[in-house]
Order: sequence, then structure tokens, then C-alpha cells
Amino acid sequence: MTPKARRATRANPLDALLNSLVPAYGPPGRETGVRAALRGALRGMGPVSEDALGNLHLHRPGRGPRLLLVAAMDAPGVIVTRLESNGTARIDLLGGRSAAELIGAMVVFPDGGRALVAYDRPSNGKDAAGPEAGTLYLVTGLDKNAAAKRFPVGSVGMAESRLDRLGDQWRSPSLDNRAGAAAVVAALERTPKSAYDLHVVFAAQSELGSRGALTGAFGVDPELAIVVELAHVGDGKDQSSVTLGEGPCVGLKEHGYIAHPRGLDLARKAAKAARVPIQYLVRDEGSTDAGAVRRSGAGVPTVLIAIPARKTGGPDSLVHARDLERTVDLVARLLVTPPAPEPTPRKRTPRRGGAR
Amino acid sequence: MSRARTALRRGGAAPLFEERFLEAFSNADGPSGWEAPVRAKVVEAVRDAVDSLEVDAMGSLVARIAPAGGRARRGPHVMLCAHMDEVGFMVTAVEKDGRLRIRKVGGIDPRILMGQVFRVGTKGIRGVAGVLPAHLLSNNDMSKVVPIEELFLDIGASSRNEALQAVSLGDLVAFDTTYESWGSVRKGKAFDDRVGCAVLASLVQKRPPVPVTAVWAVQEEIGLRGAAAAARRVSPDLAIVLEGTASGEAPGASEGESQPRMGGGPTITIQDRSLMADARLTELLQKTAKARKIPTQWKRPGVGGTDAGRIALSGAGVPAAVVSVACRYIHAPAAYLDIRDPRRVVELVWHTLEALGKEWA
Repeated sequence: MTPKARRATRANPLDALLNSLVPAYGPPGRETGVRAALRGALRGMGPVSEDALGNLHLHRPGRGPRLLLVAAMDAPGVIVTRLESNGTARIDLLGGRSAAELIGAMVVFPDGGRALVAYDRPSNGKDAAGPEAGTLYLVTGLDKNAAAKRFPVGSVGMAESRLDRLGDQWRSPSLDNRAGAAAVVAALERTPKSAYDLHVVFAAQSELGSRGALTGAFGVDPELAIVVELAHVGDGKDQSSVTLGEGPCVGLKEHGYIAHPRGLDLARKAAKAARVPIQYLVRDEGSTDAGAVRRSGAGVPTVLIAIPARKTGGPDSLVHARDLERTVDLVARLLVTPPAPEPTPRKRTPRRGGAR
Repeated sequence: MSRARTALRRGGAAPLFEERFLEAFSNADGPSGWEAPVRAKVVEAVRDAVDSLEVDAMGSLVARIAPAGGRARRGPHVMLCAHMDEVGFMVTAVEKDGRLRIRKVGGIDPRILMGQVFRVGTKGIRGVAGVLPAHLLSNNDMSKVVPIEELFLDIGASSRNEALQAVSLGDLVAFDTTYESWGSVRKGKAFDDRVGCAVLASLVQKRPPVPVTAVWAVQEEIGLRGAAAAARRVSPDLAIVLEGTASGEAPGASEGESQPRMGGGPTITIQDRSLMADARLTELLQKTAKARKIPTQWKRPGVGGTDAGRIALSGAGVPAAVVSVACRYIHAPAAYLDIRDPRRVVELVWHTLEALGKEWA
């Protein structure tokens, strides 16, 4: 690290975390780069392991109830399904992004390969509903043989993610959910001692339907969980009036999730103590890992902390820097806020077969 | 040759693929939820080879088999899984004139049903998906596909009472197809996934190199249900699902587009709608195939879903992979496969089990 970079890191650890996590390779099921970056960021914090789905798991033993803190670490990807005779490659999408949003994105592969997402727009306006995934292809700039060698069927890429600052906002394709992962690491750095027996899962395959969060939560069998994830707002799908820059959201309801009353109380209490203004997330469509964690095992009281974000119509997401900082404040405060006693305490022992 | 490569080539001979299992399983009927006739054939095939055999609450058949060389548990516990059920229909109503109304069980293309012969219920009563005579059809109707709700099965009964003496509401309906062979091609129904069932039954005829729990699962075609329940109980260290999958051969299309091909060797999944296959396990399958000179091909990513997706998400997560036989015309009255493919799948899976080290346990 150069002296300048070190000074910058001291000045704002969150910026340094974003800079290391955002560009890291990590589409669903291939989270190799981001896992390595997180391992680096978590060094010295406790034992770190990887499980069958690719989740990264950190345990910080402590007295108090077993708390699971979850942040997804993958980013939407593409997978090569077929090579064409002209050296282009047909692709399918891995994760919840519409095909239109990827047009023009540069896609990077783990070996350093790069290709451009292209689409032949019909001149008759027949694609008013937007292109389907099967009509996208990668321009490789190579002939068929070279392309087949460089991008064989099954190659997985992700949109090239540079971190960029636009005024008060961060801009990058992988902010969902690298911003959430960065907020969690920053909160951990700030709170070496928590009120909990703390398990942190950086979840894999979130984009494919919260697969990592589901198995990760089952392995930890927590008494309480906090999920930190981006929520895209202002795209007409949410009924709430969430505004970027007005603070992190506490999730009340989204597809597959409804807040747990005790979790909600805890979040409000922590926000008040940390003097963090909060907004509420209410939406019918769109979901995070919170639903999967809430349903795992015999059910888990789960708090959803959602960082408001905006889509751009292209591959990028926008996040307000102040929201991100306040999310760190809120999560850090949550970690030291003991829960209200359970009305009917559950007797549970940790399950076998967790993270290995 | 590297040491790793040498290790991949060590070990005993794989068991042989038993074609008689494929024939018996294919000829048995077992639409989802009604797998008993198939299960009986599987029990017959594996009863004497395995250490324990039980039917779980869902109806899946679960067999445990300890590794060669004593009872001591060595190596990772592997779940091998194939599903017994097939797509078919269910009788939902009987009309006054004795015709049966049916609904789909699993995914079937309505274009392939008109005029087909079916077997209904446990007695295998024959029925024809009736067609109106041409002179009663308008030109417009001639070019239309009849939706399944409008289709009827004619079992030759002339009244509701007569029909109900032969069949009951809720009876399941299967294609009336008999196994046949010519050259290396085999024809039969429900190769998805009776070929997987036969591969699995063949694999357990010899004591495996690692502890294996073999699961012949139910209700795959209606939501991957049986394997999900079985995986929670078996709680394996890793899983390999054996499937019969759709070949991608399209007449007139380029070779690159027509993948995978019948006869092209075991088909390995990288990703489908249900699963990101475990990258290490898929790599081990590939390496084993290379060392054993077994040709392999990739399943086209993004297509379909298998029990592996559910097994992978069971408990705290299970590394899972899929090895398939590419069949033409699955989910239809008669499918084709190349008999060399299931033989190679048995070899590939067996030698992959041999190559599993302690790191998987």
C-alpha cells in the first residue's frame, strides 16, 4: 500500500473497503475474487471458513444470544451458453437483472478475459417489452476458434465494476450487494466486542434466489438475524417514499418477508441510540436474503437493514455515501444492543453440519 | 503422467451397466406420485446388493451400501440420486358417455398427444386420446393444437358406469410404449429418468469405494419434492444426481448449436435453473473422464432443473453435480438413447467415487 493510499484508508476505512470489494470478481456460484478480498478484510477478526455453497463464514464467539449477520457478496453475472460461428457467444443471465440493463456492459472473466454485451435491436420496434436474455450476446473480438478457447460454454462473467463517485453518490454495477458487505465489515471493525455470539455469513448465490443465505442460516441456527442488503427504490415498484440520502431503511415488508416485531423494536432502539435517521421499506416486488433467513430452519426473527439505491437503466446502481455511512453506524450499534428478553425463551443447541 | 493423473487411473473396474434394468424400469409405469410399480422393479434389481433398503415417507427408495474393505466408514458419504417418476396424466372426470377427462402431471407438450395410446391406472387399461373425424373439423380447427383440458381419453366404455368399473378418478395415465433396441439405439418411454435409475441400480451392484446412499426419488417432475425430503435425512457430504436429459440436436442447425448429442458421452451440468453445480466436483468429473478417456459434453447452461438443485440447498448446503444421458424426445411417448452413454456414465461416476479424497468428508 502506498503512503497515500494508507492515509486515505485511515481517513475513511469504508472507502478503502469499497475500493477492494466493488471490483472483485464474484458472480453467483463463482465468488472467488470477492471471497478472497473479504478474507483479507476480515483478517484478525476471528476464524473464517467456507461452506458447501461458497458462503464465507466468520465466527466471533461471545456471550449472549447467537446472532447471524448476513450480507450477500455475489453480483449478477452472465454464463456462456453457446459459441456462434462468427466468434460471438450467446449468454444467459445469472441473477435478477433485466436483459436491457446489460446492453453495452463490459463483462469480465476470472482469467482476465473481457467481452462486450451486445444486442441487435430490431428496426421495427418489435422489442417494446425489452429484449429477452436469449437475444443478448458477447462480442469477443475474436474468431470462432479463439473465442471458443477463451470463452468456452459455461464460462461465467460479471459486469466490469469500477467504483466511481458522482457528487454525493457512489456508482458501480456491483454495489448490490458489495456496499452491504462493506458496511458489515466496517461495522465489525468498529465493534470488536458485541452483545452476541456473533456469526457473520457473506452469502453466495444470493442473485439466484438467496441460496447461500438459506443454507448459511440453517448451519448457524441463529436466535436472531440481521440482513444488510441494497434495496432499489424509486423504480415504481415500491409504495414507500424512500429517498436516497435520508438514511438506511428498516424493512417492514417485501416479497417473501415481513418484519419480526422484536427485531423491529431492536432496530428502532439501535437507530435512536446511534442517532441514525431511518426510513421504512415496504414493497410487494423485489426481495433480499431476509426472506430466506427468516424461513430457514425452524424460523428466525430477522431484521432487514436495506441501503436505498437507485437503478440507472444500465448496469449501474447508485448509493448515497451518507446512507452507507449511517448504515455502518446502525449495524455497529445493533451489534452492541442486547435484545429484549424473549417472551418464551427457546431452548436450542447448535445444529451439526454448519460451516466447515 | 502426473501423480494426480496416475491416482485418477488407479482402482478397480467399474461395475457394468445392466441393460435389463433399463428395460424393466422403462416398461414399468410411474407418473409422479404413483411410483410403486417402478419402485418394485428397482427393489428387485438391488435387493441382494445393498446393506439396507427402505421406503421413506414420501415414497423414495433409500439404500445404504458400505464401502469395500470393511464396515469402517471411510471417505465422504455420497448421495447418488435418480428419480423414478415420469411425466403423465391424471384422470380428473368421467363424462356421461364414458370418455375420460385428464390433466397433466409434469411438463408435457400438448402438441404430441392427439391420437396417442395410453395406459390408465394399475390395471393398465388402454385408452386413446380421441380425435374427431376430419369431416367434423373446420379448416381452422385442423391447424390448431387441442389444449389438454379439451382432450379426452377413450377407453372404449359407452357410459360413465362402464368406465368407472375399469378406472377411478385420480388414476394416473402413462404412455403405452414398449422398450426396443436396434444397433446402439434404445427406444422406450420415461428414459427421463429411468436411465438414471438403471445407472444407479448398476452402480450399487459392486461395493463402492466410499460410503454411498442411493436414493431413487419420487415426484421430481412436479417440483423436485422427493429428493428434497430424502436429502434432509441422508445429510450427505456431497451428491451426484443421475439424469436422462434432453439432447439438443436440431436438424439443420450447426454442430455447435446441437448440443448435447445422443451418443456423445456423459453430459455434465455447469448450471441450470435450479443449480450452480459445485465447481470442484464438476472439475473432478471432467478430470476423471479425461484420465479414463471417456468423452463428455456440457449440458447447455440455463436450461431445466433437477433434484440436484434441491439437494444442494438442503441443510447447511451440499456440493452437488449432475451427470446425464442425453436422450432424444424426453417427456414424450417414446425417447431414444444410445446405450453406450449409460455405460460411460456408470464408468465415469464409479471412477469419480474412487477419486474422492478425505477433503470431501
